[in-house]
Amino acid sequence: MPLYAFLVVQSVNALSQAALLFFLGVGLTLIFGIMRIVNFAHGAFYMLGAFIGYSAVRLTGSFWLALALAPLAVGVVGALFEFGILRRLYRRDESAFLMVTFGLALVMTELIRLGWGPEALQVAPPPVFSGIVMLMDEPFPTYRLFLAGAGIVVALAIWQFLERTRLGLLIRATSQNAEMVHALGTDVNLVRSTVFGIGCGLAGVGGVFAAPLVTASIGMSATMIIDAFVIVIIGGMGSFPGSLLGAVLVAFVQVFGEYYLPDLALALMYLIMLAVLVFRPGGLLGKEA
Amino acid sequence: MRDLRGVCGAAVLLALAPLALPTYGMTLLTEALILGLLAMSLDLMVGYTRLVSFGHAAAYGFGAYASGWLLLHTSLPMLAAIPIAALLAGFIAIGVAWICTQASGVAFSMLTLAFAQLLYAVAYKLTSVTGGSDGLAGIPRRPGPLGLHVFVTRNGFYYLVVIVLVAAFVFCRALVRSPFGAVLRGIRENEAKTVALGYNTRLYKIAIVAMSYGLGALAGALYAPFAGFANTELLFWLLSGQVLIMVIVGGSGTLIGPILGAAFFLTVQHQLSNYTEAWALFFGLIFMAFVMFAPEGIWGLLRARFRRNSVLPEYRSDVAGAR
Amino acid sequence: MTLLALDDLTRRFGGLVAVDGVSMRVEEGEVRAIIGPNGAGKSTLFNLITGVLKPTRGSVSFAGESVTGLSVPRRCQRGMARTFQLTALFPEMSARDNVRLAAQARERRRWQWYGGGAVFRDAGGRADAALGQLGLSAIADRPAGLLSHGDQRLLEVAMALAQEPRLLLLDEPTQGLSVQETEQAVATLSRLLAESRLTVLLVEHDMEVVFRLAHRITVLHRGAVIADGPPDAVKQDPGVQAAYLGGFA
Repeated sequence: MPLYAFLVVQSVNALSQAALLFFLGVGLTLIFGIMRIVNFAHGAFYMLGAFIGYSAVRLTGSFWLALALAPLAVGVVGALFEFGILRRLYRRDESAFLMVTFGLALVMTELIRLGWGPEALQVAPPPVFSGIVMLMDEPFPTYRLFLAGAGIVVALAIWQFLERTRLGLLIRATSQNAEMVHALGTDVNLVRSTVFGIGCGLAGVGGVFAAPLVTASIGMSATMIIDAFVIVIIGGMGSFPGSLLGAVLVAFVQVFGEYYLPDLALALMYLIMLAVLVFRPGGLLGKEA
Repeated sequence: MRDLRGVCGAAVLLALAPLALPTYGMTLLTEALILGLLAMSLDLMVGYTRLVSFGHAAAYGFGAYASGWLLLHTSLPMLAAIPIAALLAGFIAIGVAWICTQASGVAFSMLTLAFAQLLYAVAYKLTSVTGGSDGLAGIPRRPGPLGLHVFVTRNGFYYLVVIVLVAAFVFCRALVRSPFGAVLRGIRENEAKTVALGYNTRLYKIAIVAMSYGLGALAGALYAPFAGFANTELLFWLLSGQVLIMVIVGGSGTLIGPILGAAFFLTVQHQLSNYTEAWALFFGLIFMAFVMFAPEGIWGLLRARFRRNSVLPEYRSDVAGAR
Repeated sequence: MTLLALDDLTRRFGGLVAVDGVSMRVEEGEVRAIIGPNGAGKSTLFNLITGVLKPTRGSVSFAGESVTGLSVPRRCQRGMARTFQLTALFPEMSARDNVRLAAQARERRRWQWYGGGAVFRDAGGRADAALGQLGLSAIADRPAGLLSHGDQRLLEVAMALAQEPRLLLLDEPTQGLSVQETEQAVATLSRLLAESRLTVLLVEHDMEVVFRLAHRITVLHRGAVIADGPPDAVKQDPGVQAAYLGGFA
């Protein structure tokens, strides 16, 4: 395959990967931006999305229905968690949040293992996208193309949501000055629960989308939380465009790194995170430290 | 000083245990003490300096693989392989600590997790050294030097573990009550202020992380000849989580609490796993409950009941500053 | 001799110039107050002097040597000590332990990882002395988090003193204090400064306090120095009065 064709194919591949990572990272950064909490359980919510998606597909036979239902369910679980548990911890220091969400990650992992068993589960992609398409004269899975497109669409949708809707405005305002928003009469608690739910729901979306590609498995929780964190660190905690940039960067490093330096690909990602932490601790697009 | 008498009492009880417990109980107790050492090492970071490590399994696993490898491929006696493995780990941990302390707060914790995951992945790949997913098996308790084989038997090894744990405890206790320990406490309560007082807190953090990982590796180095094997389970993040749970539920910042937490955890795990597969879930929930409602842990709760003249129940006067 | 020298010290935050070409000389033994309306750049200036922030331009010299590149702990070791606008203490430690940790920073074996009897004794002695100077001996054993606001502000000063500084930087020491507490604090500080002849840099909003303690006043407005001189001269400076919109006569 000529070089330019290879680059194109792998770039589209990387974009599909970036879409998955974006779903994961945007929720985490949103939650951090509003609540200054790092949700250690974020990878577990992603995983929950994948498993609920699996069950939804088995029950209804429709991937699309699963895509609608699973994130909703995950979002509700997230909102309930915030309401019932996180809310009590706002006066404590950040290590309490870290540990409680870590505990949640463990509990969710175990619940999923008990509910769905320890084996990885296969989810079939929607029939319309389960074929092959010719890209640069090479066969390329349609599903990945779909994923890349979906990522772009969702990113645009979120952007518009933040810019133009009332809730989006509230979210942006609360991330800058929660007290002021509260003083203006908004129920900050409600905003927080909603945002936490939305953030988890987005992770759930990522999980459902990821399931046909990587299968739903128990180990997802730990690997995904690191990925999510790396993205958000690179892009800047609390920065929506940052999560986009971070996802794209990490995806390209992973895809091309896997090809050129397979053994170092993993380390390469951590090295980038490290470099960002050293030279621009606020992230590439975040606020200056 | 009251603490020290209690510790002596506990040491005596531990010394007498082989007379009272059946074989099964002794195995459990030995493992509990090894995990207790691991938990206590994490407490140095979490309880005394508020550096939450999600990657402590890396120290444990590394120590186990190192001592296991030395016992399998060299003729070093156990009493040499174990400390060598721990020292090697501590040395490497200085580098890891230097990198991780570049960040603080959550980023620090994520970096520790990232390193642990990296080690996990490496252990899988380096099949020639680590045996891949099978791990190392048949690790011997080689006697020596000079024909010393009292620690090779089951009870003998138990005494070795007791000696190491007590020695480590004495070391840690001296450490947290020292001037160095006072600075750690300052870092825990207000790092910015500690810096403003003129302390290079980064160096202190690197030092405590290296010591903490070194002691954790010591626990792992004991585990390999204890169990006779070392595998990637020892490096998995779930174990890191379990150790953190032991520290919090037992009582962070007390050194003894984590050891109790380890014993509690292991006992309940063994009992519950006979009845249900969901014991890990049960523990996760207990952990969350403690974080939310009883952050001082079991040991802290016990002590609060017996303490009479403290202004704040959580004011700990046993750490660097008690007179 | 000139203990602190600032030359064209400037700090930008993106488009905002927080500190604008500040040049200043503080002599040893002097009590210099830095005043100015809100947002004038006083805290930023403190942060530049102590090393919390790096300047965009300009330099800081301490005791004749440039310290512009040095970290915060290094500058402390050279002899700077500072209190913060928002009280910064170790809330669960006793007042005495707070000051002892500050005093320990001056010990050669402050990092000793065993024992510590001698180190704690010496540091403890200096801590008790500092507490005495600030009139806090009675509450030495109470957890710092439980002290009254006024005592907490003074405790911070005690901690700074225990560092045996050559230059003491006080960032709004009377902030948040009641009229009575302020009176007590000023009396204590006044006595302290007279006895010890420390060099002090003082940021203050309360003009009464400034006039009672300061030998010389520097006025900042929008990051730049607009007046610099003895209290009476500064009081009458029209530019200063205009900046404060309403004066303080």
